[in-house]
Amino acid sequence: MKVFVIDVAKCNGCYGCQVSCKDEHCDNEWLPYAKTQPETGHFWMKMNEKVLGSVPKVKMSYVATPCMHCENAPCKEATKNGSVYTREDGLVIIDPEKAKGQKQLVDACPYGAIYWNEKLQLPQKCTGCAHLVDEGKLPRCVDACPTDAIRFGEEAELKELIGKAEVMKPELGLMPKVYYLNLPKNFVAGAVFDPIDDECLEGVKVTLTAVGQSKNYIATTDGFGDFWFKRLDAGTYALRLEKEGFYPFSMKSFEVAESVNVGDIALNKKLD
Amino acid sequence: LKGIGWLGFGLGANTAAVDVKDGKIIRIRPFHYEDKYKREHMKPWKIKARGKTFEPTMRSLIPPFSIVYKQRVYSKNRILYPLKRVDWDPAGERNTQNRGKSKYARISWDEAATLIAEELQRVQKKYGPYSVLAAADGHGEGKCIHGPHGCQTHLLDLLGGYTLQARNPDSWEGWYWGAKHVWGTDPVGQGIQNNLWLDCSENTEMMLFWGCDPETTPWGWSGQAASRLCYWFNEIGIETIYVCPDFNYGAAAHADKWIPVRPNTDSALQFAIAYTWITEDLYDKEYVATHVHGFEEFKKEVMGETDKIPKTPKWAEDICGVPARIIKALARKWHKQATSTAHCNGGSYIRSTYSHEPGRLEVCLLGMQGLGKPGRNQLKMIEWQFFALNEQMPGPRSEVIPNVAGAYHGWAFTGNESLIPKTLIPQAITTEEPFTWYGSSIAGFPKEDQFVQYKFPIDDKNSTLHMIWSDEPCWTTCWNGGNRMIEALRSPKMECIVCQQPWMENDCLFADIVLPINTKLEEEDISTDVYAGEFNLVYHEGQCIEPLGESKSDYEAVGEVAKKLGLYEEYTKGKSIEEWVKEGFDHSGIENMISYEEFREKDYYVIPTADGWENDPRGFGPFAEDPVVHPLDTPTGKLEFFSTDLAKYFPDDKERKPVPQWIPFGESHSESLLHPRAKKYPYLIVSNHPRWRVHANLDDCAWLREIPTCKVKGPDGYLYEPLWINPIDAKNLGIKYGDVVRIHNDRGWTLGGAYVTERIMPGVIYQDHGSRLDPIVAGESDRGGDNNLICPGMITSKNCAGEVTSGFLVGIEKVDVNELRAQ
Ligand SMILES: Nc1nc2c(c(=O)[nH]1)N[C@H]1C(S)=C(S)[C@@H](COP(=O)(O)OP(=O)(O)OC[C@H]3O[C@@H](n4cnc5c(=O)[nH]c(N)nc54)[C@H](O)[C@@H]3O)O[C@H]1N2
Ligand SMILES: Nc1nc2c(c(=O)[nH]1)N[C@H]1C(S)=C(S)[C@@H](COP(=O)(O)OP(=O)(O)OC[C@H]3O[C@@H](n4cnc5c(=O)[nH]c(N)nc54)[C@H](O)[C@@H]3O)O[C@H]1N2
Ligand code: SF4
Ligand code: SF4
Ligand code: SF4
Ligand SMILES: [Ca+2]
Ligand SMILES: [Ca+2]
Ligand SMILES: [Mo+4]
Repeated sequence: MKVFVIDVAKCNGCYGCQVSCKDEHCDNEWLPYAKTQPETGHFWMKMNEKVLGSVPKVKMSYVATPCMHCENAPCKEATKNGSVYTREDGLVIIDPEKAKGQKQLVDACPYGAIYWNEKLQLPQKCTGCAHLVDEGKLPRCVDACPTDAIRFGEEAELKELIGKAEVMKPELGLMPKVYYLNLPKNFVAGAVFDPIDDECLEGVKVTLTAVGQSKNYIATTDGFGDFWFKRLDAGTYALRLEKEGFYPFSMKSFEVAESVNVGDIALNKKLD
Repeated sequence: LKGIGWLGFGLGANTAAVDVKDGKIIRIRPFHYEDKYKREHMKPWKIKARGKTFEPTMRSLIPPFSIVYKQRVYSKNRILYPLKRVDWDPAGERNTQNRGKSKYARISWDEAATLIAEELQRVQKKYGPYSVLAAADGHGEGKCIHGPHGCQTHLLDLLGGYTLQARNPDSWEGWYWGAKHVWGTDPVGQGIQNNLWLDCSENTEMMLFWGCDPETTPWGWSGQAASRLCYWFNEIGIETIYVCPDFNYGAAAHADKWIPVRPNTDSALQFAIAYTWITEDLYDKEYVATHVHGFEEFKKEVMGETDKIPKTPKWAEDICGVPARIIKALARKWHKQATSTAHCNGGSYIRSTYSHEPGRLEVCLLGMQGLGKPGRNQLKMIEWQFFALNEQMPGPRSEVIPNVAGAYHGWAFTGNESLIPKTLIPQAITTEEPFTWYGSSIAGFPKEDQFVQYKFPIDDKNSTLHMIWSDEPCWTTCWNGGNRMIEALRSPKMECIVCQQPWMENDCLFADIVLPINTKLEEEDISTDVYAGEFNLVYHEGQCIEPLGESKSDYEAVGEVAKKLGLYEEYTKGKSIEEWVKEGFDHSGIENMISYEEFREKDYYVIPTADGWENDPRGFGPFAEDPVVHPLDTPTGKLEFFSTDLAKYFPDDKERKPVPQWIPFGESHSESLLHPRAKKYPYLIVSNHPRWRVHANLDDCAWLREIPTCKVKGPDGYLYEPLWINPIDAKNLGIKYGDVVRIHNDRGWTLGGAYVTERIMPGVIYQDHGSRLDPIVAGESDRGGDNNLICPGMITSKNCAGEVTSGFLVGIEKVDVNELRAQ
């Protein structure tokens, strides 16, 4: 069984995967697996980028998303004439001859991986570059990835990585053959300073509590007074800052729907 | 095999494999070194540090630009036939005022070559040979035999000469005009690089990416090895800090911390760091005593003894936007931890007004912390092995740095009796009076050249300019003040303008005759790749497809004109392309490592890593160890915080004194928020090297244009050049994502598509440079986002003919495109 393993932490956002997929499939026909892709508008490999946080606590996430080559593929069920099939190696293919006119396939994919080719009246998507795989070569996007963020190979060989990986929308139970490492989550970040001396405060103990779960995360501020809590789930959180000689500071219950920069927080010195 | 990079100058890069079928390009993909050589031959290097290992891959790490190049080859903008402007009549009215307005008609090669030959002869006879300007520099396709820029200079030499558009050190202005005078480093003023990957891997604790985007600008001609290097630095725990106004793409992938700084205010920040070190006694006093010349004068400047401004962190905060407490924290960390700075070329940190100040201040800061001691150097992320120098190679050394200059027909950074810095061209075109300046300004020339006075025209016997032959027609979207250039190009003095280019873009719109040039995929050539950072390569480049339309290479196009002048034999030296390939190989540096026959059979050669590279000296290490035995190339052999040369040659220059200054505005410039002009134009613009182009190249590739940060679709469907604006400013101005925004100042205006984002600090806007000129009223307004049209026209400072292309004042406002169209 062939699988993709995509390590988001290794992705530099170069879009090499997205454009190499176009270079392979636009104006090139790879029968029996695919007819030509329109010059623009299709993203058989789609790079999804997002900006997280706010100045100056900003991060970016880049997630490369091809067809998930689901084992239980709903696109297969949506076809009228068996125009979608799974190869022996697990790659899911839309047969470009049989699928003509079957626009309903586009909506059948819960990952939005199928695109409609108006000119050819054809639903189209990532073929796993089956035409190259047949020749013992790597899919274009994999060969083009400069950081090896996208891996492709036998399930058995990549077992160790798969063990640590997640899939997109696991709740749907579609058993995708595209695995992800380090999928983006949320962060809470901020900075602490002493307003009287105008200094960054190092060594402040920062406690982040997931409200209602009584789960605590602890961080210590660095030389810039910065603290970061990474890889958090969305939810309600509370924050408490403490340092000896300073009045503590708390933020009660704030929502983390997306990553947040709570800003620069002043801790006041105890005057004795 | 093709090198699909855009350095030009006969240097290939971004080696790619091009698959071709039935005369059509199928795909462009990474090239795999192991196709015909074994690892044992290549001797891949290994860097071991902190318990981990870093190694090269076995394939070329090409950027997305190379992958999409098929779209550039088959672009609808390709010029397929020679063209003549319809209302330009060499025998009658030339209608120079209509350049940029009138249409073109197809003519034959025969007619085009004859017209050019006749005009050359007429103009040179009437006004002398130096009345013809050869605009023959510029980046672009890495062709060698077919030399993308400068073929015409060889023909003009045979005709008795020409005036050279001297390529100023646009990439390195601040280092060239400033840093060189502190640490003496020719050719371009950046630091010595030997073996710094190893030194940083072993010793550096903090790396300051200061005006550096290693995920964008290596793409032009180094590929993506820098990306892997940055991941390696992250992996071994080097603290990575980005100092820049925008959260650039390198920061997006690698930053542990982003310190936003207002454009071109870095010198305030730098001074405040020095202030913290001096007042808190946190610098390497022993080193300064033995390695620095003029520290006391510098200290006076920092403490404000000369200008009554103590450069405190609090003072700097209001100017540069970095809180004083962050400045102090950064200064203390820099002292405590072994710190190196990292740059590509420095960006607009060293490309704005008075850029020599931040350029040399950085060297002073590095000096105060023991430049050259383990982990304390200045690392470059691009242009490895520049100028074929090992000293420019931070990575493991290769057995040889090859070059195929023997086959090269372009311009090669040499002088010429008559020359004009590229930054002064508009002035030179319109002038009637002779004018002078200092320094040939040619990038790579030794620093002593900066003290020589030049003049145009060189003497009374020579006339001013009357004809231009350009093979780099993008001055208007790449240089300092494009609107002024447009005005100059329409001058009645300019009797004939010839442009040759593959695509109908930018300055081509102002030409009288346009020659159709083909891309390198349509020609055979020989090339090297010395920038990839993994292995050095030499390869033969086969022809992939037939030339489109009637296009020819630059070398061949100039050859057509040479034929009309009876100079073809001399121009080609009687050699065929095949013979030139051999000539290139014969002097490449690998001619004794492999036979020509085997080279042609395999089509490429991978040069092995040199044995013993680990023991090479590291950056400024030798100087740090013993400044007497290993002096710098400065008059005193030391780091000159006080420059003896500047004191000697320019004692009265208030804009570049012997010691670095805080100079927000002055005689030449008023581009600072501290200047009253800021009331009218309250934003500073950052204009970086384009993420999705190489300058003017690649603006028309549809696959790039659909990337969200490449173009923003306006309400009218036009793809505008993105203009980044912080949500706070956007709210104040009533601007939302996708709105069309006007960017203006007293030099004109252009448009952008609003990209509201936390990736830019408040008060600052960012728009890449090089977007294709799309004039509304040529010389005044533009739709394409060509912000170079409104860059300051003045040079860096009084005696430095550098460009100022970012960090200048603009106003911004939302525009209603329908209303604008109605007007
Ligand atoms: N705002 C702003 N402006 C800047 C800078 C900045 O940071 N901000 N940076 C500056 C810097 S560092 C640089 S290097 C310059 C770059 O300025 P240039 O070097 O002038 O820019 P390029 O786009 O590389 O120029 C190449 C031109 O040659 C054409 N070309 C490409 N291949 C060929 C060929 O084979 N034959 C012919 N005849 N033509 C060809 C291209 O289409 C293009 O018009 O821009 C400078 N300007
Ligand atoms: N993709 C791509 N690659 C290229 C080129 C290209 O056009 N496109 N051009 C090539 C050429 S000719 C050159 S010279 C190199 C250029 O390489 P660089 O000079 O390094 O590139 P820039 O994009 O000008 O600037 C780099 C970064 O400087 C930061 N910056 C801008 N203004 C300021 C400032 O005032 N202060 C500080 N601290 N930071 C600032 C921005 O974050 C920007 O991302 O790249 C080469 N490679
Ligand atoms: S991702 Fe969509 S198109 Fe791909 S196999 Fe699953 S359901 Fe089908
Ligand atoms: S495997 Fe092939 S078709 Fe699928 S995303 Fe990658 S390049 Fe595109
Ligand atoms: S090619 Fe690799 S590094 Fe580049 S965007 Fe795609 S996954 Fe990320
Ligand atoms: Ca030819
Ligand atoms: Ca010298
Ligand atoms: Mo440059």
